[in-house]
Amino acid sequence: MKKFLYLLLLPLSLFAELTVAVTYPYIGALTKTIGGEYVDIETLAKGNWDPHFVVPRPSLITKTRNADALIMNGGQLEIGWLPPLINRAGNSKVMPGAKSFLNLSHNVKLINKPLSVDRSGGDVHPDGNPHFHLDPNYILVLAGKIKDFLSSLDSEHKQEFEKNYTVFAKSWNKKLIEWNEKMADKKGRKIIQFHDNLAYFNKAYGLVNIATIEPLPGIPPSSRHTLSLLKIIEDEKPCCILHDVYHSTKTAEYLHDKTGIEIILMPHDIGALDDIEDLSSLFDYLTGAIK
Amino acid sequence: MKKILLATALCATLINLHADETTDTEIKKVRPGASADYVGASLLPVEKRTFSQSQYIPDVSLVLDVSYVNRDYDPDEVAHLEIPGIAEGILGSHSHDGNTEATYNANEGFNLNYAELVLSSSVDPYFAMQGVFHFSENGVEIEEAYFTSTALEHGLRFKGGKFNSNFGYLNQQHQHTWDFADMPLVYQSFFGMHGINEIGAQLQWTAPTPFYLMAGIEVLQGNNEQMFGNATIEDEATGVAIAEGATPPSLYVGYLKSSFDVGDTTFLGGISYAYGDSRVNHIEENGDGHAFSGTSKVYGADFLVKHYFDSYSSLKWQSEYLYRDMDGTEFDVTGGGATITPESRTNKQAGFYSQLVYMYNSNWGAGVRYDGFTKNDVVIGGANENEPTNMNKYTAMIEYHTSEFARFRLQYNRNNALYTEADEGGQQQHIDTIIFEANIAIGAHAAHSF
Repeated sequence: MKKFLYLLLLPLSLFAELTVAVTYPYIGALTKTIGGEYVDIETLAKGNWDPHFVVPRPSLITKTRNADALIMNGGQLEIGWLPPLINRAGNSKVMPGAKSFLNLSHNVKLINKPLSVDRSGGDVHPDGNPHFHLDPNYILVLAGKIKDFLSSLDSEHKQEFEKNYTVFAKSWNKKLIEWNEKMADKKGRKIIQFHDNLAYFNKAYGLVNIATIEPLPGIPPSSRHTLSLLKIIEDEKPCCILHDVYHSTKTAEYLHDKTGIEIILMPHDIGALDDIEDLSSLFDYLTGAIK
Repeated sequence: MKKILLATALCATLINLHADETTDTEIKKVRPGASADYVGASLLPVEKRTFSQSQYIPDVSLVLDVSYVNRDYDPDEVAHLEIPGIAEGILGSHSHDGNTEATYNANEGFNLNYAELVLSSSVDPYFAMQGVFHFSENGVEIEEAYFTSTALEHGLRFKGGKFNSNFGYLNQQHQHTWDFADMPLVYQSFFGMHGINEIGAQLQWTAPTPFYLMAGIEVLQGNNEQMFGNATIEDEATGVAIAEGATPPSLYVGYLKSSFDVGDTTFLGGISYAYGDSRVNHIEENGDGHAFSGTSKVYGADFLVKHYFDSYSSLKWQSEYLYRDMDGTEFDVTGGGATITPESRTNKQAGFYSQLVYMYNSNWGAGVRYDGFTKNDVVIGGANENEPTNMNKYTAMIEYHTSEFARFRLQYNRNNALYTEADEGGQQQHIDTIIFEANIAIGAHAAHSF
């Protein structure tokens, strides 16, 4: 019996020094890049699902319970699923306010913060648009914050974290230049989305979102709104529909059939599409999507 | 006359005030740089209010549940039906001691099941607190009011106050998170419409295993509306004490739950056990009736499989089995309380439900449920009462969500579990019910537990 118990506990004790639970894959990738062999990552949400609707399955309670630290996106993106996990984990290290708890949204300025909030306007994010990681310039800010965070938890390996950060920043800066060049001639292009996921990406590269397929945030497409989109497409001639991978493309396909507008699937995170394996392939894909 | 004068004066003053206000705004318009003091009363921004505590207002939400019910049964008679040997009067509303208690969707026509007010917030770095109140036409009920620890380590969590026990799977859920408008028969007849909802203390431990494993124990006061109780049984008509009470807390609950994922499919299973004193008093105002005093055990097993097709579409199969063993003394009271006949009584009864719910997308969902009993052995004074077990219920529902915050559900069920009382023939009834239920929520975004 005892042997059996040890066997159960073994996988937890064998590996990394610091088990960091992260809400989304992109945070996991960044944390692993900075933390290297000194961190073990437990990712709660899957990259190909809607980040707003993650099912708080019991296995996630266990991941939260066994974590030494928690890094979340914030900006109310996790409001519908993370609280019950934290609440049931019995782990003071993942409680908001603990020094091993990091809310990334506190380190960036959120855009599109509504002046007033009311649910008649849909399920709006009262703090602003939380999908900030899709601005590749912010990735460095987040990496820096994660470096400080890990260093504060494991000061022994501070230098390794600093080194990893420097290496990452150097290669990322090169990438930023490359992506800027790729996107230079896309500036001012009008696009349509399902939900305003790409607000920060658009801002970074000067794309203009003119409409969303959902009439209001969190409200499924309606025929009346879809008809109004037909007119907008006709009048404003957007280049394409940049569609997320987790909503049904039914309405987008209808718009395509009626107007010929191109539909481009845009991954929002690592794992959203099969060939998006890391952060740079995510942005390689995004910056190469519009032809 | 004086009053009229006064009122006129008041009106005049008000109009005057209003006029003043207009002037102020105009002045402001003319002189944008005019000092703030000069402008009429306006609310200071929150951060400038010296003693304002509004930043500390807890998360608030209100959930309204209303329904329209059509039942092909005499509304006056439905409350008198019973599940023989198991429960009396589980449909409709009942009045006693000037209080009215009603099940959800009790009345034909429209029902205001409840307006549920939920308040929750952190208390300090060590605790969080939550209160859940049901406002209905029968008054206000404290559904839950408890604090939980937030600073314990090692997967431990403590809860104290009034709360839904974590026995089984369905018991902890509030009505508005159920997949159907009513409870399965076995839950409602064993525990009542609130389930095991008690004042007490709970300790849960999540094990440091790579898969989900949770164990919990609860010590509860033991005042369940159907099964558990500790009050002295008294014939109110005669004032005679029939059975002595037990010392509370008198209900103990323990459970073990485990879960793992295979791809996009989650499996969750649990076993539960409850042990407590029972004092059940069915003595009428005229002094006649019957009562039970003894101890009861309930064994529960629950199993759930949920597969996700994507973020919004899923198929869920959920089942529970409950077995209870009650052992004690039955008191038969007749002649206006003059004759009390004690006899030994044991109930060995079991029931289950199994349901399948398909969410097509974030708007549409549908489900079916079958529930009933598998065992109903009631032995009084050594003689088996030969109570029936062919009691069941078929339910189907379809629901539409306009958003995450509003759900409309149409449910049909056929209930074959209710009988007329023994002295009225003891005939099995077949009751068809259609329930149209609207569930609407405002306020803080409710997080969904699994």
